[in-house]
Amino acid sequence: MNPQQPVAVESIDRLCALANLPLPAERRARLAPMLADLVAAANELSRKLARAEHRAIVPIVRFPER
Amino acid sequence: MARTELQNLTISEAAGLLERRALSPVELTEAVLQRIAVVDKKLNAYITTCGDQAREVAQAAEKMIRAGYHLGPLHGIPVALKDNIYTRGVRTTAGSKILGDFIPAEDATVTARLKRAGAVIVGKTNMHEFAWGGTTDNPHYGTCRNPWNPERFPAGSSGGSGAAVAARTCLGALGTDTGGSIRLPSSVNGIVGIRPTIGRVSNHNVVPLAWTMDTVSPMARTVEDCVLMFGVIAGHDPLDDHSAQVPVPNYVGELTRGVRGLRVGLIHDYSLAHVQRAVGDTVRAALKTIESLGVEVEEIAMPSVQGNISAQLTIESCEPSTYHQEWLRTRATDYGEDVRTLLELGEMYLATHYLQAQRYRSVLRKEFLDGFKRVDAFVTPTLPFTATPCGATTVVIENGQEEDMLSAIMQFTGVPSLAGLPALSVPVGFDAEGLPVGMQIIGRPFDEGTLFRLGHAYQGATDWHTRAPSV
Repeated sequence: MNPQQPVAVESIDRLCALANLPLPAERRARLAPMLADLVAAANELSRKLARAEHRAIVPIVRFPER
Repeated sequence: MARTELQNLTISEAAGLLERRALSPVELTEAVLQRIAVVDKKLNAYITTCGDQAREVAQAAEKMIRAGYHLGPLHGIPVALKDNIYTRGVRTTAGSKILGDFIPAEDATVTARLKRAGAVIVGKTNMHEFAWGGTTDNPHYGTCRNPWNPERFPAGSSGGSGAAVAARTCLGALGTDTGGSIRLPSSVNGIVGIRPTIGRVSNHNVVPLAWTMDTVSPMARTVEDCVLMFGVIAGHDPLDDHSAQVPVPNYVGELTRGVRGLRVGLIHDYSLAHVQRAVGDTVRAALKTIESLGVEVEEIAMPSVQGNISAQLTIESCEPSTYHQEWLRTRATDYGEDVRTLLELGEMYLATHYLQAQRYRSVLRKEFLDGFKRVDAFVTPTLPFTATPCGATTVVIENGQEEDMLSAIMQFTGVPSLAGLPALSVPVGFDAEGLPVGMQIIGRPFDEGTLFRLGHAYQGATDWHTRAPSV
């Protein structure tokens, strides 16, 4: 995989198959560059959260009443 | 007062007149319905108007008040609800074709509480489809427009509520806010909007966008009016699993406490960075006003704030795509193009991306809670630019560089949403084109009262909130 282009149209094809999401080819092609930007940003955030100082951090899906 | 002027009353002013029987709920409701008939053709702020029901409720309110039963400050007050909030017997579309014929058999908890307080619901407001977007450029019910300049957008997703309040086609409205959907339209329409602490106001029977970030709350012309509505809808609801059992203070009483001695924080290299010049200048001037009221302002570093947009996009993509999973497979062509694309993209993140974004919220919240040991609230602009042309998908903030609208619009509002904190947007001035600028004030969990105090004190020292669009 080209690291400069982490999401190719083939990646979208595979993700659609895994998600059982039938999309027309033109839609799959349109999604690739958009998802590439989103995934690059999400990967950057993941790298930050992987740092040692964050190792004990758990996800918040419900906030405490205080 | 002439009927044509009644819609200019604030909730507080109208409530006083109604209680003293110097104004009738029927008169006031008729004035508002007349105003909708005249103005809403230009703005498209309403998906459904409820004239007949509103008249019936107003007549009942009038009888009660005449008989000596005054239910409180919302009794007989015409309000509007965003169209993703259930209204028993009244179509609730969530701005979608998919729910185009949905008539709920029950009210949302917030609807029921407003009704119990005697409010008169005049209509359901336009919104970005399923609240997934910030423009209210709705493909099914038409583009909603900004009353300060109908060629400009009202932001979103509660754009109809924002435009309706600013245009005086209701005295107050409810919106919903996941990543900024109350505060953004409040800012660009020159009104006040509060995003509550998650859990403070029930989400029961409100069409969800992202479960872990959704909230419901008021939008009005003054902080005091927001407080009057908020006091009615806030509080624990056993029907909502995420509802908090935290006592609701007397917000009206708190307004008179003043703000001298409070401390406000600016986030280093963030609060006033990367904004249109007019927005930065206007918010700086508002901070000077706040300082003149005896509030101390200091700068605080918050290094984690920079990851906020990716975290918000990740969560706001994955959660809606989960809720919409079945419809995306069976009714894909019934979505507008932008929402359909976002829902498709939300299916393609990894679970680890989603969970890292939720972990990020913990980090961000901890930094804020540490910051609140030094200050009582943080300030930012509500959004980094003023209202863009209707239909725009990009925006220029500085240096002539075009940016994607969805990311740019959540630059400031996403942060309290992620951290689960309350945030108030207050109008603080206008740019050279006469478009409103809003300031966001972020508070401690369940400390909406301090935000109301700051906003009310600011409005007591300025007159931006008294200006009306000429639509």
